[in-house]
Amino acid sequence: MSGAEFTTRPVSDPPLREDFGWRFAGAVAGAGLLTLLLAYAVVALLIEGTALWGTNIPFVWGFDLINYVWWIGIANAASLFAVVLVLRRHGLRTAVNRFAEAAALAAVAAAAIYPILHLGRPWLFYWTFPYPATYQVWPNFRSTLVWDFWGIMSHVVVTGLFWYTGLIPDLATMRDRAVARSRMVQARIYGVAALGWRGSVRHWARHQAAYRLVAAMVLPMLVSAQTIVALEFATTLVPEWHQARLPLHVVATGIPSGLGVVLALAALLRGGLGLTRYIDDDDMRLLAKLTAAAALACGYLYAEALLVAVLEDATTRQAIAARAFGAYAGLYWGGALLVVVVPQLLWLKRAQIQARWAVPIGIGAAAGVWLDRFSLVAGGLLRDHLPNPAPLYVPTVPEWTLLAGTIGLFALLMLGFARFVPVVSMYETRHEESEADVP
Amino acid sequence: MTPPDALPDPLPPPDPDRRSLLRAAGASLALATAAGCDVGPQEFGSPLYAPARGADAASAGLRRYATVLDLDGLGRGVLVRARDGHAIKIEGNPRHPASLGATDVFLESAVLALHDPARSRRLRRYGRVERDAALFARYMAEQRAALAATGGQGFRLLTGPIASPTQRRLIAALLAQWPGARWHVHAPLADAAAAAGARLAFGEAVTPLPDLSRATTVLCLGADPLGPGPAQLAQARGWAEARARGRQAGRLPALIVAESTPSLTGAKADRLLVLPPWEIEALARAVAAELGVAAAEGATHPEAAALAASLRAAGAEACVLAGRGQAVAVHALAHAINATLGAEIPCIADPNAAEAGTLEELSDAVAAGQVTHLLVLDANPVFDAPAPLDMAALLRAVPHSLHAGGQVDETALACGWHLPLRHPLECFGDSRAFDGTAALRQPATMPLVEAARAPEELLGALAGLPGDGLALVQETWRGVWGEAFAENWLVALEAGVIADSATPPQVLPLRADFALPSATPQPSTPVALFAPDPNLWDGRFATEAWLQELPRPLGNLAWGNAVLMAPADARAAGVAEGAVVELRLGGQTLRAPVLVVPGQAPGVVTLPLGGGRRAAGGVPGAVGIDAYRLRPAASPWLAEGLQIRATGAEAWAERGAEHALAGDTPRVRRLAPDQAVPPLPPPRSLYPDWTYPGHAWGMAIDLDTCIGCNACVVACQAENNTPVVGPEESARGRAMHWLRVDRVVTGTAEAPQVDYQPVPCMHCEKAPCEVVCPVNATVHDHEGLNLMVYPRCIGTRTCSNNCPYKVRKFNWAGYARQADAVPVRNPEVPLRPRGVIEKCTYCQHRIKGAQDVARQEGRALRDGEITTACQAACPTRAIHFGDINDPDSDVSRAKSQGRNYALLGNLDTRPRTTYLAKLVG
Repeated sequence: MSGAEFTTRPVSDPPLREDFGWRFAGAVAGAGLLTLLLAYAVVALLIEGTALWGTNIPFVWGFDLINYVWWIGIANAASLFAVVLVLRRHGLRTAVNRFAEAAALAAVAAAAIYPILHLGRPWLFYWTFPYPATYQVWPNFRSTLVWDFWGIMSHVVVTGLFWYTGLIPDLATMRDRAVARSRMVQARIYGVAALGWRGSVRHWARHQAAYRLVAAMVLPMLVSAQTIVALEFATTLVPEWHQARLPLHVVATGIPSGLGVVLALAALLRGGLGLTRYIDDDDMRLLAKLTAAAALACGYLYAEALLVAVLEDATTRQAIAARAFGAYAGLYWGGALLVVVVPQLLWLKRAQIQARWAVPIGIGAAAGVWLDRFSLVAGGLLRDHLPNPAPLYVPTVPEWTLLAGTIGLFALLMLGFARFVPVVSMYETRHEESEADVP
Repeated sequence: MTPPDALPDPLPPPDPDRRSLLRAAGASLALATAAGCDVGPQEFGSPLYAPARGADAASAGLRRYATVLDLDGLGRGVLVRARDGHAIKIEGNPRHPASLGATDVFLESAVLALHDPARSRRLRRYGRVERDAALFARYMAEQRAALAATGGQGFRLLTGPIASPTQRRLIAALLAQWPGARWHVHAPLADAAAAAGARLAFGEAVTPLPDLSRATTVLCLGADPLGPGPAQLAQARGWAEARARGRQAGRLPALIVAESTPSLTGAKADRLLVLPPWEIEALARAVAAELGVAAAEGATHPEAAALAASLRAAGAEACVLAGRGQAVAVHALAHAINATLGAEIPCIADPNAAEAGTLEELSDAVAAGQVTHLLVLDANPVFDAPAPLDMAALLRAVPHSLHAGGQVDETALACGWHLPLRHPLECFGDSRAFDGTAALRQPATMPLVEAARAPEELLGALAGLPGDGLALVQETWRGVWGEAFAENWLVALEAGVIADSATPPQVLPLRADFALPSATPQPSTPVALFAPDPNLWDGRFATEAWLQELPRPLGNLAWGNAVLMAPADARAAGVAEGAVVELRLGGQTLRAPVLVVPGQAPGVVTLPLGGGRRAAGGVPGAVGIDAYRLRPAASPWLAEGLQIRATGAEAWAERGAEHALAGDTPRVRRLAPDQAVPPLPPPRSLYPDWTYPGHAWGMAIDLDTCIGCNACVVACQAENNTPVVGPEESARGRAMHWLRVDRVVTGTAEAPQVDYQPVPCMHCEKAPCEVVCPVNATVHDHEGLNLMVYPRCIGTRTCSNNCPYKVRKFNWAGYARQADAVPVRNPEVPLRPRGVIEKCTYCQHRIKGAQDVARQEGRALRDGEITTACQAACPTRAIHFGDINDPDSDVSRAKSQGRNYALLGNLDTRPRTTYLAKLVG
């Protein structure tokens, strides 16, 4: 391919197009409706309280924590993926980085709703902030929930920065192309967002340094954020949760789920926006293999969980057995199937490239991790220190509504991203192409 | 003859809705405050006076009134704590022999019945509210005149069991005035076999008054002395005292129980024999034969020799008790064995015994057309009479029927007229306890229902005796005391008990011609065994939300009951726990959920009475099953010919087990008398220890004496405004009890070992909940209490996750403030809003209250001055509470015993609440 033929127009044009077609409008309408449902679920929850849910004593947490942990896992895995690519200057980064980061950001937004809504009195969520209150009451810094507050706040800030820093040169390109089309309002918005980017060598030098710096910041924090979420469980006295392996399990199972979502999105964008050239078959293959490899690693973790159970004390052993073979056994094994076994299909060449394979497998991995989190939050409590003759946790319609709502929010944010910013990094694509031109 | 308007005019009925009730209550409160707290409004005519001796006068507005509440006609003395004229809490009267300072679940819930918005408030005619009170007065006058003309011909009075001297005097006066009138007594839980057995043994229908405190071997033949009933508190205390003495002496008394269905007594048995009723009779005969009772000669049973040996060894300190529903021969044999062993069990005539007809006789009289007028006084035969009598049709056949009762119950709706009765806490009266001790009943609150009348007033008006309830009661006792009335009256009111009024007991010799009826043949199985419900009793407590929501000692059931089946029977019928079966007996059918219980005799299906009330006040719909519909009139306790069919329906899904889990240190420890619990390894912690220079509160719960009666649970609920969540929320596992009594079952299905373990907050030294709360809403106080700061709680529930004891409860909804919330509240404890966690505080308000009093009096706190609500209620004094910094305090002494241990001590939470291990002989 030659430099003269190469253009990033297919990437930069969609945001500037007047009309995106009926499919896009339909998708936005669907996502918008689900988001409205979210608004309804939130208002109902604020009026009626958590009695709407299927939670009880001892199953005090239900969809609130399951979905929170799940969304955070997706966000973290997607970010982690993007970061690794940036730091390793991997070729694939050009193709999928941008929407991996966007997916992470949208997932964080969906996740951040839950820790607030799950409170008995959500309007007082800010009491976990260390602010100088009149009575000088501070948060309890020993609490994993406070750690989690810091974890998710840092996550939002750094993921946002990472995404935004990478976007700046392209925003400038968008500004220039909008000016060229005399779309002055859009040009102004893109211009402000581009922070006066002029493409000078100094700008590029600073930008690259900043971008890699932020990426380096993301890397350890992502592991720690996931770990802190896992510590909310692992530091309790609940026998099944109180295991040192739990943070590793939560971090590791998050990876195939995040990769799976990125893979599914990549396949959809490729087909939907006609970006086959930019997200090429090699990119898809690499992504698919990564997902399959991560799934294999999770398989090791699942096996380890059951093997280690044999060595544990009787209470923990019974607790692990109760989770794997008790009332929520279907969730546990369903999770293992979707996270570990099904993604192995991605080693097949056909499955790596074709959307009709990649999309269900990718979404399935995410769903599998969701089942795993459900099994952790509910099934982990089946065997406690004292027997508890309480009815099992079963999610209620308001909880499903809330989940559907956050999926709608995630979809709406992703659609907005596809509509308003370039989905593939244009400057990196250009860079890659120009490097390829060098003899 | 009195004027026709002798019955006091009821005031115009108030508006029915709840708001106006609260307004009325508010007005009463205002009146009470204006009158100086201790004198009620004059128009009700019942001044509140004579607080109990020793009442803490230091806290203004708080009064304690000694009064008495009845169960099955027999009184139990209580102290009613009233704040600003409102009765808010019932506590036991230490001076009353049927309370001894303790309470049971029924006593505790009396304040709830008093404040029940669904209480009967208005006159009713054929079930409909009748606003014209004058119409009723005219009607009564006309009917009295008509009856006076015929000498009361055709008038029948139907009551529950009555031991009250005043009510008996008034009934006697009524019957004397109208020679044609008759009195019938309907007691659904009375057992004629007991009297028949006593007559067989002694020639007299007497009731034994066993003193379990001096018995070293007790054999219960289907008897449940520790279970609910009018004498439970006294008997449980006696048993606990014997047990305490046995622990000290190193020789535990033996409690041997032969029972067909699990009971509280069976759970405490040192030796439990699970036998069907006919085998209990065979056992009784064989034991008697072994011990040389001539009438039982020749009978054998494999267990008899061993039991006879232990009874013989105990000699005069043995005691054999026969229980409700046993055959006449069993009762007679129990007396005979006691007499043979020289056990000298004192007997008295049943205080409830009366020269009155039965319900069957009334039914026959109605059928014969002999009844024109029927007054049903505080009884509910339409619900609790055996179904074949068809009381509703019977009442329709009576031209003039009047029901007087506290609730608009099934009978109220079936009678021509219904007159609301006052709650016992609203009116004067008197009663006799199970041992005959008389006590005065006095109002502890102002009457909350204007239209209501006291039963004494109604009887007095009919009998043509002038005066209100107070005057009628005074008249009774003026007759007893004569000249000494003036001095005795106030003393009796203040003490809550009339000194030396117990019926003198006598030890009767066995009849010389003692002979037994022939042995009951073994019936075809399965048989239906009817039993009172532990929470609803005969059904009269079905209106109490506290009792409906209280998990039953068996199966953790709340808001509903179930038939009990042995595991083998359930397998044979192809049903699992929670399955719905169709029961057929005598042409009647009933669909009921099944509870599979270890310790149930195979072939015996227990049907609890009291559930499924069709008209039970504010309690929604019919809760549970109504076993009265299957109950035959001829054999009310045991019925042959029960058919069971699985329906395939399921009442509830399988729930978590109540059994102990393998792999744990047993949560209820068992020790031999000379053993001690092995100490835990020295604790380790990253955090420094707390220091307590002042007091350090702690609790010890004696599992050797806890009988699992649940009184502490209801006492806690009443004291701490613990909300009722209702049947739906309760089924979701959201009941709010701060204190629960766990049933721990070990052993096999045939020989289960059942233990009850009350679990309040442990107030851990290293509380796992405190560490994880993000906002410091649960904190340690300077005296070691682990406290919730409700306003600070944001409801993450993470503290509950980290509490291994699961004693923290969450307000999923605003239970305490919702429209149908329980209408009685202790003003000393805040109501918790929606979205916060709550839990046991060791009754922190009581601690602070006692500290305030001590400070005002310029002295140090005394040990025993602070009692928690659960501790005060406990009939066996199993709960010890106090300052563990004081080595001489009761709780320190309890904790210094070798059998003191922490629940889940291996988790190193260092609980302040510890348990005293159960001893096994």
